[in-house]
Amino acid sequence: MKRYKLPIAAALLAATALTGTTAAAQSVLRLDEVAVGELDPGKASDYADSILMFNVYDTLVLPVQGGPGYAPHLAESWEADGTDFVFKLREDVTFQSGNPLTAEDVVFSFDRMKALGQGLSFIFTNVESAEAVDEHTVRFNLNEAYSPFIASLVRLPIVDKKLVMENLGEGDGEMRDWGQAYLSANSAGTGAYKVVSHNPQQETVMEKNGDYFLGIADVAPDQVRLRYGLEAATVRTLIAQGEHDISSQWLPPEVLKSLAADGAQLLTETGGGAFYIKMNTQKPPLDDVNCRLALAKAYDYAAGITMVAITDDVAQGSASTGAVPVGMFGANPADQTLSRDLEAAKQHLAECKYDPADFTLEISWIGEVPLEERYALLMQANFSELGIKSEIRKVPWALFTEQVTKPENTPNISQVFVNAVTGDPDTLLYPMYHSSAAGTWQSPEYLNDEQVDAALEKGRMVTEPDERAAAYSELNQRLMEIAPTIYAYDRQSIFAASNRVKAPALSDPDEAFGLDGMGFSFRLMEMTGE
Amino acid sequence: MSPVVRLIAKRLGISLIVLIGVSMLIFTIARVIPGDPARIALGPNATAEQVAALRERLHLNESLPVQYGYFIADLAQGDLGISLYTNRPVTRDIAQFLPATLELILVAGTMMILIGLPLGVISARYRDTWIDGTVRVVSLLGVSAPSFVWAVILMLLFAFFLPIFPIAGRMADSFTVPTVTGFLLIDTLVAGNTRAFGSAAWHIVLPAFALALSGIGQAARLTRANMVETYDKPFIEMARSYGFPERRIANRYAFRPSMIPSLTIIGLDFAAMLGNAFLVEAVFAWPGLSRYGVAVILRKDLNAIVGTVLVISAMFLIVNIIVDLLIAFINPRIRLSQRTA
Repeated sequence: MKRYKLPIAAALLAATALTGTTAAAQSVLRLDEVAVGELDPGKASDYADSILMFNVYDTLVLPVQGGPGYAPHLAESWEADGTDFVFKLREDVTFQSGNPLTAEDVVFSFDRMKALGQGLSFIFTNVESAEAVDEHTVRFNLNEAYSPFIASLVRLPIVDKKLVMENLGEGDGEMRDWGQAYLSANSAGTGAYKVVSHNPQQETVMEKNGDYFLGIADVAPDQVRLRYGLEAATVRTLIAQGEHDISSQWLPPEVLKSLAADGAQLLTETGGGAFYIKMNTQKPPLDDVNCRLALAKAYDYAAGITMVAITDDVAQGSASTGAVPVGMFGANPADQTLSRDLEAAKQHLAECKYDPADFTLEISWIGEVPLEERYALLMQANFSELGIKSEIRKVPWALFTEQVTKPENTPNISQVFVNAVTGDPDTLLYPMYHSSAAGTWQSPEYLNDEQVDAALEKGRMVTEPDERAAAYSELNQRLMEIAPTIYAYDRQSIFAASNRVKAPALSDPDEAFGLDGMGFSFRLMEMTGE
Repeated sequence: MSPVVRLIAKRLGISLIVLIGVSMLIFTIARVIPGDPARIALGPNATAEQVAALRERLHLNESLPVQYGYFIADLAQGDLGISLYTNRPVTRDIAQFLPATLELILVAGTMMILIGLPLGVISARYRDTWIDGTVRVVSLLGVSAPSFVWAVILMLLFAFFLPIFPIAGRMADSFTVPTVTGFLLIDTLVAGNTRAFGSAAWHIVLPAFALALSGIGQAARLTRANMVETYDKPFIEMARSYGFPERRIANRYAFRPSMIPSLTIIGLDFAAMLGNAFLVEAVFAWPGLSRYGVAVILRKDLNAIVGTVLVISAMFLIVNIIVDLLIAFINPRIRLSQRTA
């Protein structure tokens, strides 16, 4: 028996060696995201796209770390005069190609985004035009006063015009394809990382841009491999094997728990979003405000948080205080959390014009988000205590987006996660609650309330922070009174990470950006070498 | 015209008709399932105007026959359109992802033949012994559990508890080889990089074995059953009466006629793996066409759905033609019937 041991050990050793290791000289950060990463910054919209965009490209402004407001980035300074915004650009910035950054690049980036009409271009609807005043000065003209404009600039990545024009693909007109074919596989930014390779179903490999205008610390990862579509079991095993550094936020809570139990650190990001349970205000019985208030009071908020708890201290959500997530303009104080009040719920139900015996609520959940089924069951149990019958229906996302286009087809209750794509409350609340925006996945409430509309419009018009806070506070109050939604919890993204990496923007609130995806600025991370 | 050429021509003609039928069917099905592809492609934040513009660009407001006409006109120029999932030409996606899947199923298919058939032969030859019993239990286990269950079990055993095999991707990150065929086992050799070849070979073991396991079980069971039946035939009795050794009887007289039904099933399994590889590809982060196919169906990416289904159908038909030819080669009765026809 003994003579077999040596060959077996040798074979195992050889096998392990064949799995390959990376060169020790280069620090490599490996992370994953579920969806394909869209490399074209003009089309970037979801989380993976944002991670790519924030690392390969830069924007005129950045959210202030650990606080409210926006700080200059590619812009040195700016001046606002009603509907005119004039930005002075830094003169020491070059693209990864070596081309210098000019005002023409900013104008081109804006025009390109508007022309493509994809991704988050809708947030620039209020911008009439952009023009280069001189080589390093650019002016934006708005249709009307729009105070979240500065915030929206975090979603305008600046593209190397000269490089893109040299690589235009097939298409009609002078701009042909606006460089879509080129930018879907190559980088043309000023960012801290440049793209080495991009396979949309496998991974994007990025490396440090040695000429980055802000410089990059040596401890930041030399190479980053962003993998796509890894299964939870695969991520679990890879992290255990030491072959993966940061998981996506989409891991089931059980897997995050198990990784945390094995010693993985839990990184967090709060991006101004929440989990909303939406009630169709145009369809009986939830067209009656008292029926809606009864459900909002009967919902067990604490149990809802427990369902997404990872450890005793960390959960994928924190207690909600109202329609506006904590940390945004107009939010209620963090200690005024919502809680269940069954007696109040019964009183509201008694004042509702519908008798619970006469209706059955339709509670839907999105088929692609299994977590929502648990919330549907929780609601069913909670509402049954009021004598309300309900049926749970699983709806695929594609069908849901179609159903909500008509109020009569929209379920009584829908569940969605909504985020402020710029970090400003306007991009979170306006598409959900303004009467002109009804009938989308964000607004299955079909809310039509004059006070809400007025507060939302005021939030866009006024420029002073205090005035904006007052407008959104008023809006928050009104939304609590008429309860179109059950504000289940403020969302928090959780990532399991190995101890080989430190990510201050994802672990220290004073370093956090408050914008989804920006915490993954690789230049601010540190590889510990453990 | 020789019988073989006639057989191929006939099969190709039928395959073309099947492909046209498949294209019409999948084109229609993809468009009638719920969900607006433009809305899904542009994401939840897109405005109604953006969605309307994309619908216009994709001709989604036209009638189905008109849309199909656009599709055929583009297809005639080798253009399958742009994938809304990857924002790249579908032909480019297929060219990039197909070799990974083909390489996986070729290795899995080879395992199926090299392990499944001998197991069946051994089991039949030692019928009703402990060897037969063991092979039957093992093959039943292989058939009973789907590939993705084996994928997770193998990952747990040989990557989590006993970290021997890698579980993500096709090759270690540290290697890069120029793409020639897209088959890494070939491209690494073409590049003369034996360490990269070793890494690629090591990476494919677990996914290919997980994918092959049910086929191995099926091939073993079928070969055993056919051989047991063949052993009862008079010509085997005659061979025994001549005093031929058992090994020669098994390999030369019993195995060959028993192989024909096994070969048909293996051929079908081989082709079916193109579609079934999805979950194995997902578990092992294998960037193949099956995974792409499912991703584009979930995103209702019309061009990519049609392109992927057409390619998988074509591969299915090609494998069937090859199996038919092999069977004709092995079975003189079929070969001769083609000649007389």
